Amino acid sequence: MLGRVTQGTMTAQLLGNINKNLKQAAELQEKMGTGRKINRPSDDPVGITYSLRYRSELSINNRFQTNVNSALSWLDFYDTILSQAVDVLKRVKELAVQGANGTNPQVALDNIAGEVEQMKDQLVDVANSMFQGKYVFSGQMTEQMPYPPGTDPKTVLTDQGSLDYIINTGIRLSVNLIGNNVFGYPPASTGVVVNPPNTNEEDNVFYVLDQIINSLRSGDHEGVAAQIPLLESRIDKILTQRAEVGARVNRIELMEQRLKDLNLNLVTLQSKTEDADLEELIIQSKVNESVYQASLAVGAKIIMPTLVDFLK
Amino acid sequence: MRSTFHGLETGKRSLFAQQTALQTTGHNIANANTVGYSRQVVNLISSRPIEAVGMMRTNVPGQLGTGVEFDSITRIRETFLDDQYRNGSQIHGAWEVRLDVLEKLETIFNEPSDVGLRSLLDKFWASWHDLSENPEDITARKLVRETARALVDAFNQTHRQLEDLQADLTENIQVKVAQMNTTLQTIAELTRQIRRIEALGDNANDLRDQRDVLVDQLSKLVNITVTEANGIYQVSMGGVVLVNNDTANLQTVDGIVGNFGGALTGGEIYGTILARDQYVTEYINQLNTLVNGLVNGEVTITIPRGSVLPEGTVLNGITYTGSVAARTLADDLTVTVRGLNGLHQLGYTLLDPPTAGGPFFVSADGGPITAGNIRLNPDIEKDASYIASSMRVIENGGTVTVVKGNKDLALLISQFNDLKINFSSVSTGAITGYGSVNDFFRSIVGQLGIQAQEAERQTENAKLVIDQVDARRQAVSGVSLDEEMANMVKFQHAYNAAARFITTIDQILDKIINSMGIVGR
Repeated sequence: MLGRVTQGTMTAQLLGNINKNLKQAAELQEKMGTGRKINRPSDDPVGITYSLRYRSELSINNRFQTNVNSALSWLDFYDTILSQAVDVLKRVKELAVQGANGTNPQVALDNIAGEVEQMKDQLVDVANSMFQGKYVFSGQMTEQMPYPPGTDPKTVLTDQGSLDYIINTGIRLSVNLIGNNVFGYPPASTGVVVNPPNTNEEDNVFYVLDQIINSLRSGDHEGVAAQIPLLESRIDKILTQRAEVGARVNRIELMEQRLKDLNLNLVTLQSKTEDADLEELIIQSKVNESVYQASLAVGAKIIMPTLVDFLK
Repeated sequence: MRSTFHGLETGKRSLFAQQTALQTTGHNIANANTVGYSRQVVNLISSRPIEAVGMMRTNVPGQLGTGVEFDSITRIRETFLDDQYRNGSQIHGAWEVRLDVLEKLETIFNEPSDVGLRSLLDKFWASWHDLSENPEDITARKLVRETARALVDAFNQTHRQLEDLQADLTENIQVKVAQMNTTLQTIAELTRQIRRIEALGDNANDLRDQRDVLVDQLSKLVNITVTEANGIYQVSMGGVVLVNNDTANLQTVDGIVGNFGGALTGGEIYGTILARDQYVTEYINQLNTLVNGLVNGEVTITIPRGSVLPEGTVLNGITYTGSVAARTLADDLTVTVRGLNGLHQLGYTLLDPPTAGGPFFVSADGGPITAGNIRLNPDIEKDASYIASSMRVIENGGTVTVVKGNKDLALLISQFNDLKINFSSVSTGAITGYGSVNDFFRSIVGQLGIQAQEAERQTENAKLVIDQVDARRQAVSGVSLDEEMANMVKFQHAYNAAARFITTIDQILDKIINSMGIVGR
C-alpha cells in the first residue's frame, strides 16, 4: 500500500496498465494473424523442437510419397510390357502347335516361320523398352540398349544392377527386372559364360524362337514340338516375374498407406504443437479489448479532476 | 517589556513565512511533471520568544511569542529507495539488452518458417532424392547444385548477420561508454555546484534532484553504488570509483571490458558485453560446428556390395587400387567417412573417363570450413557433371566407364539427414554432440528459445521491481496537486489572516497615536 498517492503515481500506473493491455492485444493479434501459437523459439522452446522435427519429417515423408509414386509407375510399366511379352509368346505357342502338325505343307511352315520371326522382332522391341528415357531391362546401364541390333539377342548378358527407390527411412526397394531373368540367360550352346548363382538356360526365349524358326524352315515337325515345353517353361518364368512385380506393388501400396497415415499423424501433431486455438484467442481478444477500453475510460475520468477543478 | 511595535514585527514575519511557503507550493506545482523532482517543504518554526532567561527580565508572566520563521527548505526523499531503484535498474538494464540480442538471434535463425536453414536443408536432401531418380542426366544434378547454392548462401548470410550483430554490439559498447563518461562528468560538475552552495548552509534541492536523475540513468548502464558521508560524495562501480566529489574518473572501452565479470556485474554495458562475447559468439561457434560437421564430421555408412571404389581410396586401413575387379566390394562395407565431402569422394561423376567426386563443399579461404567461408566446389559451380551419384564402373575391353544408372551414392546422400554425425570430431570449442544435422539444428534453436524465454521472464521481473520502487519513490517524493492546492489554500488563508492582523495592529497604533489623551480637546 502506498501511503501517499500522487497524480504522477496514478498516471504512471495508468500508463503501465494501458501498455500491458496493449502488449497483450499485440500478442493476441500476432497469434490470430499467423494462426500459430509458436511464432518464435521463445514462445515455446520445447514445442519448437517438436515443431521443427515434424516439419522435417513431413518434408521427407512427402519425398517418400513421391518416390513411392515413381516406383509404382515403374512397376505398372513392367506389368504392361510383361503382359505384352506373354501375349506374344502365347501367339508363338499357337503357331508352334500349328507348325508341329505333320500335315502342314512346307509353304505353310514357311509362312508360320515368317510370323514367328515377326514375333521375335516384337519381343526384341519389348526387351528394349524404355521408360522415362531409360532402358528398363538393362540393369543400371540404363542408357545402353540391352538387346542392340546387330547382336544376337540370345547371347546377351544384361546388367544385374538394381534400380532402387527409398520408400521409407532405411527401406530400399528395387523396382527393376533383370532382362535375363525375364527373357532367359544365354543357352550353353552359345558359349557365353554365366556367372553363378545364375546358369545357362535352354529356354532363353530368343534361342527357343530361333530353334522354332529353324525347325519350321527345315520342315522338322518334331523339332518344333520339342520346343513347346521350353516355350511353356519360359512363359511360366515370365509370369513368375510378373507375379514378382505384383508382389512389389502390394508392398509399395502398403507402404503408401503407411506414409499417408504418418502424414496425417504428423500434420495433426504439428497442428497441435504450432496452431493457435482460434476460439480461445478470439474470446481472449474480446476480453482484452473490453479491459483495454475500460482502462482508457477510467483513465479519462481519473486523470482530469484535481482539487483545482473544485476551487473557485 | 515588549515593544509597542511588536505586533507589526510578528505580522511581518508571518507574511514573509507564508509567502515563502506559497512560493514553494508554486514551485512544487510547476515541477509536478519534472522527471526526478522531489517535492519541497518549507520548515516553519516559531521564532524565539522574548523574555529570555536573564537578570533583566521583567516580572510579566509567561513568554511572549514573536511569530514564525523558516529555518530551511528541504526536499522529501528517501535514499534507501534510490539505492533499491538503482540496484533494480542495473539488473533490468542487463537483462533488457540480453533479451534484445536474443530476440535478434531468433530473427536471424528465423524459425519456425518455410524459408529458414532447416527447410533449405530439407530441400537439399530432397534434391538428392530427385537425383537418385534420374542419375544419368544433368538436369537433376543442376537441381542439386541450385539447392546446394541456396544452402551455402543461407549459411553465409546467417554467418554474416551474426558477425554484423557482433560488430553492432561492439559499437553499442563504445556508444554506451561514451554516454557513461558524459554522465560522469555532469555528475561531477553538479557535485561541485552542490558543495559550493551547501558550504554556505543552504540546501541545493534542485541540483540534487538533477544529480539523482543522472545517477539513475547511470545505474541503467553499469552497476553502481553511491555513498555520501562526511561531506564526500562517491559513485563507484564495484571497486572502481567513478566519481569522487567533483572529479570524474573517465573510463575507456578497454578498461570497462577488462572489468567485465570483475567490477562490472550489471547494467546495459555488462549485458551488451555478455551478449556479444557469450551469446553471439556461442551461436557462431554452434553454426560453424553444424556446417563443419555436415561437411567433414565422422559418419558411419554402409557401402553396398558391388560398388567399385575410386582408385586410391583408403577405407578401414585398406587401400583400394588397381583393376576394377580389385576395387570392387564383394560384400557390404560399413565404414566411417568424413562427412558429406568424404562420402561424395567415394562416387563417380558424370565425366568420362571415370572421375571420382571431389569435395562437395570447400572453404573459401582454405581454413577449416565455417558457416562464413563454406562454398560449393568451384568445379561443381562451373559444371554440375562434377556431382557424383554413381558408385560403379565397368571395364569393357580395357575401357573403364561409369555405370551412370547406378545411384547408390545419391541414395546414400539422400539419407544423410538420418545419419548420426559425430560433431565432436570437428568441434573447435567445447561443443560436442552426436546426432543428425537436424538434431543439432533443433538443439540450437531450442537452446535459443529457452535463453530468450528466460531473458524475457527476468526482464519482466526486474521491470516489476523497478516499477514498484519507483511507485514508492513517487509516493514519497512526488508532487500531489491535491495536496499542493490544499496547502495553497492553507497558506493563503494564513497570509490573509496575517495581513488582517497587521491591519488590527495598525488600528491600535492609530488609536494610541491619534485618539489617546485628547479628552476635552
